[in-house]
Amino acid sequence: MKLPKYDEAQVVKKAKAGDQWAIAEIVEQHSRRIYNLALRIMQNEEDAEDVLQETFLIFIDKIHSFEEKSSIGTWLYRIGTNVALGKFRGKSHIDPEVSIHDPEFDSLKGHEIRDWPNHPEKELDPDSFNACLKEALKSLSEEYRIVFVLRDLEGLSTRETANILNISVSNVKVRLMRSRLFLRDQLADKLKCVERNSYESA
Amino acid sequence: MKVHNHNEKLMQNLHDQLGKNFDAEIYDDVAKHMKNCPDCKIYVDSVKQTVKIYRVTETEHSVPEDVSERLFKTLKIKRNHP
Repeated sequence: MKLPKYDEAQVVKKAKAGDQWAIAEIVEQHSRRIYNLALRIMQNEEDAEDVLQETFLIFIDKIHSFEEKSSIGTWLYRIGTNVALGKFRGKSHIDPEVSIHDPEFDSLKGHEIRDWPNHPEKELDPDSFNACLKEALKSLSEEYRIVFVLRDLEGLSTRETANILNISVSNVKVRLMRSRLFLRDQLADKLKCVERNSYESA
Repeated sequence: MKVHNHNEKLMQNLHDQLGKNFDAEIYDDVAKHMKNCPDCKIYVDSVKQTVKIYRVTETEHSVPEDVSERLFKTLKIKRNHP
């Protein structure tokens, strides 16, 4: 049997009218991206599966009112991020705004300078290195991790990230800066990068 | 060990350099500063390297078969391409 060619506009139109084939087609086309997004944010398979299911349940429930101001992929992506965010909010309170003087990050103001190997990935065997990256990302608190994932791994702009998370652009910047420093310092600890005092070495 | 007491604003500008929304005026200031400040250069290089490592090592996973099956079962729809 010849499969119908995937034409997003047509498929979306049919899905909005309740066509089951079109709905299934959209789920199949976009589930991989949503699953990967969920895995990156949630850092475990069980929660990622929950996010995947909830995202597409919302999609089926709301598709009739989808206004097509963005692509279906962007719309699903936004739903997926909000579902993931909602899971964190259900587990613990997340402040909508983070103070620049958050005591949790007092030691991470970027003042510690460490020598960094040119190829840190060569310092450990690949499995240990990957485990170390994963562990560092997992130990970053959710409100910071989600910003790092959206900005640095998913490639969203600062403004897009701020809109999705409903926080200010400057807060995205603060969170991103701290996330990167946290991860860098976590990796530096694992890789035993040497701390260097610039005044002593000058 | 604290060795470098730049202000928070400069640190944010350095981070903007690593992102997409970079403005030419900030770039000039940061580039000028980094030329005379080896600590900042190490700082930016190490953060850049951290982000790059995460990007490079991130793998795209396929949705496992059992996860797909449960998804369609939950959604109560039939798969087009089982």
